[in-house]
Order: sequence, then C-alpha cells, then structure tokens
Amino acid sequence: MLEKFNQLSIVIGVFFILVAVVLLGGYILTDSLHFTINLYTGVGLLVFGVFMLMVKEKTD
Amino acid sequence: MKLHFADYLIIFIYFLFVIAVGFIIKKKIKSSNDFLSSGRNIPLWITSLAFISANLGAQEVLGMVASGAKYGIMTVHFYWVGAIFAMIFLGVFMMPFYYGSKARSVPEYLKLRFDEKTRGLNAITFAVMTVFSSGISLFALAKLLEIILGWNFDLCIWIAAGVVMVYTFLGGLTSAVYNEVLQFFLIVLGLSPLVIVALQDAGGWEGIKANLDPQLTHAWKYMGRAEDNRMGLNFMSLIFGLGFVMSFGYWCTDFLVVQRAMIARNMSAAQRTPIIAAIPKMLMPLIVVLPGVIAIALMSPALQDKGFAIPTDASGGLDYTMTLPSMIAHYYPSGLLGLGITALIASFMSGMAGNVTAFNSVFTYDIYQAYIVKNKSDNHYLQVGKMITLFGILFSIGTAYIAASFNNINDFLQLVFSFVNGPLFATFLLGMFWKRTTSNGAFWGLLIGTVAAAITHGLTIAEGKGGWISPMFPITSGMGQAFIVASFSWIANFCTTILVSLVTKPKSDEELKGLVYSLTEKVYATEQKWYLKAGPLSIILLIITIILNIVFF
Repeated sequence: MLEKFNQLSIVIGVFFILVAVVLLGGYILTDSLHFTINLYTGVGLLVFGVFMLMVKEKTD
Repeated sequence: MKLHFADYLIIFIYFLFVIAVGFIIKKKIKSSNDFLSSGRNIPLWITSLAFISANLGAQEVLGMVASGAKYGIMTVHFYWVGAIFAMIFLGVFMMPFYYGSKARSVPEYLKLRFDEKTRGLNAITFAVMTVFSSGISLFALAKLLEIILGWNFDLCIWIAAGVVMVYTFLGGLTSAVYNEVLQFFLIVLGLSPLVIVALQDAGGWEGIKANLDPQLTHAWKYMGRAEDNRMGLNFMSLIFGLGFVMSFGYWCTDFLVVQRAMIARNMSAAQRTPIIAAIPKMLMPLIVVLPGVIAIALMSPALQDKGFAIPTDASGGLDYTMTLPSMIAHYYPSGLLGLGITALIASFMSGMAGNVTAFNSVFTYDIYQAYIVKNKSDNHYLQVGKMITLFGILFSIGTAYIAASFNNINDFLQLVFSFVNGPLFATFLLGMFWKRTTSNGAFWGLLIGTVAAAITHGLTIAEGKGGWISPMFPITSGMGQAFIVASFSWIANFCTTILVSLVTKPKSDEELKGLVYSLTEKVYATEQKWYLKAGPLSIILLIITIILNIVFF
C-alpha cells in the first residue's frame, strides 16, 4: 500500500480527497461550515481526487 | 479574518503532505545528480506542470491579480503575447541545445558555448538573485499572513522556511518538483471557486463590461497610442519590450524554469515540456488576471451594494497587492477559507522552493565545483548540495529580514534582476544561432547590456521611480518603464556582442558542434502520432493564442 505513494498522482489524489472530506464533513456536521460553496467545492475536489487515483490505476 | 478549526486542518494536511513527499523522494536520492538534477528521469506531465508552477510564486499570483485590477484585461499580454510564444520558442529551438549539450545548468551551457568568465558572471548574478527572490517571497508570505490573519511575523517566516527546508533537503530537486505539481493543482482548484462566485456576483463578463471603463476590458483596442491606455505604452513597445525582450529573456534563459525541462527523460520530452506547459499557462489569466478585473468592477457605483472594496494604502490610494487576499476574505466562508489561504501559502512556497533548488544546482555545479573544490567524489558534491540547500534557506531567511527593514528593497532587487535578465536573451540568441559569436563578444555584450539598462533607468521616470541620472523621459507606468529599460539593454547587448565578435577570434566549428544551430545535426521526432510532436502542438497553440487575442481585442 505504502509503495503506491511513490506515484505522485496517488499523493495528489489522496490529498484532495482528504480536503474534500474536511469540507463535506464540515458541511454536513456543523452549522458554521454549512455553506453551499463548501458543498460544491468539496464535491469538485472529491471528483478530482478520485480522478487522480484512477489516472494512476490506468497508467499502471 | 478568523480561521475555523477546519481551516487550520486543511493547512495542516497541506504541510503534512509536502513534507511526506520529501520523505518519499529521499529513498531515491543516491547521487549528486539525483539530488541536483533529478537524474533526468521525471515524467513529462510532471516536468510540464512544474515548469509553470515554478513561475507561479507569490509575485506572480498576487502581482497578476493586482495588475488585473490596475491595468485591466491588458494584463493578459504577459501570457498571450509574452509567455506562450517564448515557451514555444524554448521548446522548439532552444531545448535541443540545452538538453543535447548535456549541460547541467544554463551557466554550464554558457561555459560550453563561450568560456569560463561568461559562465561565472551568469552563475554569480543568478545565485545572488535567486536567494534574494526566495527571501522576498518568504517576507511577502509572512507579511501577508500577519496582515490578514494576525499571525506572528517571525513564526510565519520560520515555519514556512522550515517546511521548505525539510522537503528540499530530503528530496532535492525531485521533491521540489513533485510538490510544485501539488501546489499547482492547489492554487488552481483553491482559487477557481473565487473566480466563479465573484464573476457571478459581478453579473458575468457582460456585467463587467457594462460597468467598467472600456480601457479595462480590451486587450488591444487602446494600444494604438501610449496616451490612450493605463500602461502608457503603444503596441510596438509592448510587442518588443514585453513580447520579445522580457518574456524570451525570462522563459528561455532563466534557469529556474529551464531547469524543469532539463530534467525530462529524453530530448522529445524536454522539448515538449514548455509546449505542454503552455496549455495551462494560456488559461492562467482566468485564475490570476480575471479576479483583478472583477474586483474593480465590483467597486463600480452599480455594484457597490455587493459590499466589496480593495483596501487602501497609507497614501489613500488602492492597495492593489491586497486585491486577492481581500477577495478571499470577502467571498470564502470557513472551510473554503482554509483552502484559499493554503493556496496562497502554496504559491509562496512553490516560488521559494523553486528558487532554492535552482540556487543549489548553480552554486554547487557552477561556483563550488568550478572554482572552489574540483575533482572530488560524487558523494562529496551530494553532501555539499545538501549543505548549500540549508545555507540557501538560511540566506533566504536573512534576506526576508533585510526586506522587512527596507521598504523599497523588493523594487530595487526586481530592478537589478531586470537589468541582468533583460539583455541575457541577446547573448543566447546570438550564441545559439550565429556561430561567429565569440566568448569576448558574449561577455562584453552582457556587461554593456546591463550598464545600458542602468542608464536607461536613470534617464526615465515612472511612478516616482528611476530618473536618478536625470528624469528626462517621464513614462506613465512602472511596467512600461520596465519594458523600455529591457528593450534598450537588449539592443545594447545585441549590438555590442556583434561588434566585439567581429573583431575577436571565434571557436572552431569542431568545438561548437551540438551548441550552435548551423553545426548541430537536426533530430526529427520519432513519434508517429502528431500530438506527440513539438511542431504540430506548437502550431495549434499559436493559432489558439491568436484567436484569444482577437476575442479580447
């Protein structure tokens, strides 16, 4: 598993998925982060993060 | 501006990842070549994104948004007149010499093509300038975080420098390049929501056009006469000063960016690196120019109910540098605010790491190995490269504090930098394409070009700057003055190099093989697919660039 982190696309993918989780988790769980722009950005970053992971799988 | 726990968490995740990249790369560093030149083994998509990310530092992001607010859509000339053409020229015509000569740095190419003194002159000026640029980037980051978040200035300097130090010390150039790609995506994705919501708030592009002076929404229409536009330049000065001298001088000769193409896996990838990089570069005005134009539109009487304003400085004028931070503060709620602040931090760190890695390569190869300690083991130069990285960071911290003590040191250094970079492209152009160019011609051309830049600056005055000999020629904007200074310095270098070359002895054809266009065997692309060839890609990019210029005419 850790070997996969040698691939930059995986690192970037995981990074943006984590940031998306913070934004989406905050949107769902707390009022202070419940803003539509957080939701849209979180979804956008999640899609990008997953895409970066898939790019890696494809090139492998 | 107050940060929520989620904002701090995003900043923390970012720091964690950039440091982790350093640890991942550390295992791959076996030689000085791995540390300082990435072993010429980096994939094309990474070299291409790192190529533009190395230039996407704080000065670029904050500066271009500020210029967008000050000069309007004319700022796109830095991209659609300047960068794209220069990047294509670098890929098609110059990379074969940089990459094919096996030089490890731009100064080393100068040594191969000319002589040791030309290399020494370029290496020393470049090393000094990069470490100062890095320090100024660090100072600007700390100052910005102090102003908008109230964070401690010293703590910001030491934490930011510490993080850059950890990942560049561990993984050298590869680590910096990998992080530059992460930083590129972070800057683009972190600032994209801002552009979307602010553009919507301003009523779209049509709303902006309806509320702004037409000078600010046309790229070329008001360039016929210098008096008609805010830059104070006519189209000829712009095309020659920015489009040719400054842009080609920067993109084709500055080792900071050229280094990213020189670490590609093969010649074809090295040539395509700046060309592929030109694709996102072409779209960067959406992220770094458009917000400035939107900001000014939001301050027009019809949109004052939106409640946005660019802060004013001590003199009461608009503080354009604060345009982007104030937009982030205005539009980003908690959560997204952390992402926006992280994007700003990433741009500063990307610029700083780029400068530090270019500095340690040039210092180790072109100063230490060339003049101080020759013929030692590879491990010796690896350890020296690592030590130079530490010293580079410490020098940067020192210059950050110097910058904090002097109000105008940034302006002064940018000026000196333009004196050095402005004429440099003439040396490369003649050196690569005219085999008669001699070592003495190149050396004296560089010196006289730099002196001509200083004299031109001393005789012109713009926004209170320059005119230190005699303010004989007033110019409307500082940017216009920079273009004119660069133009004169380039012409002085070009003429001096030719004149001195004609009366001094050139190198033999045998010595110049692989270094000069007419004496180098042409390598034609082996790829069968057209989209993998530099030529067709370049033509498509040029056509799109011309179309963009027409659309925003």
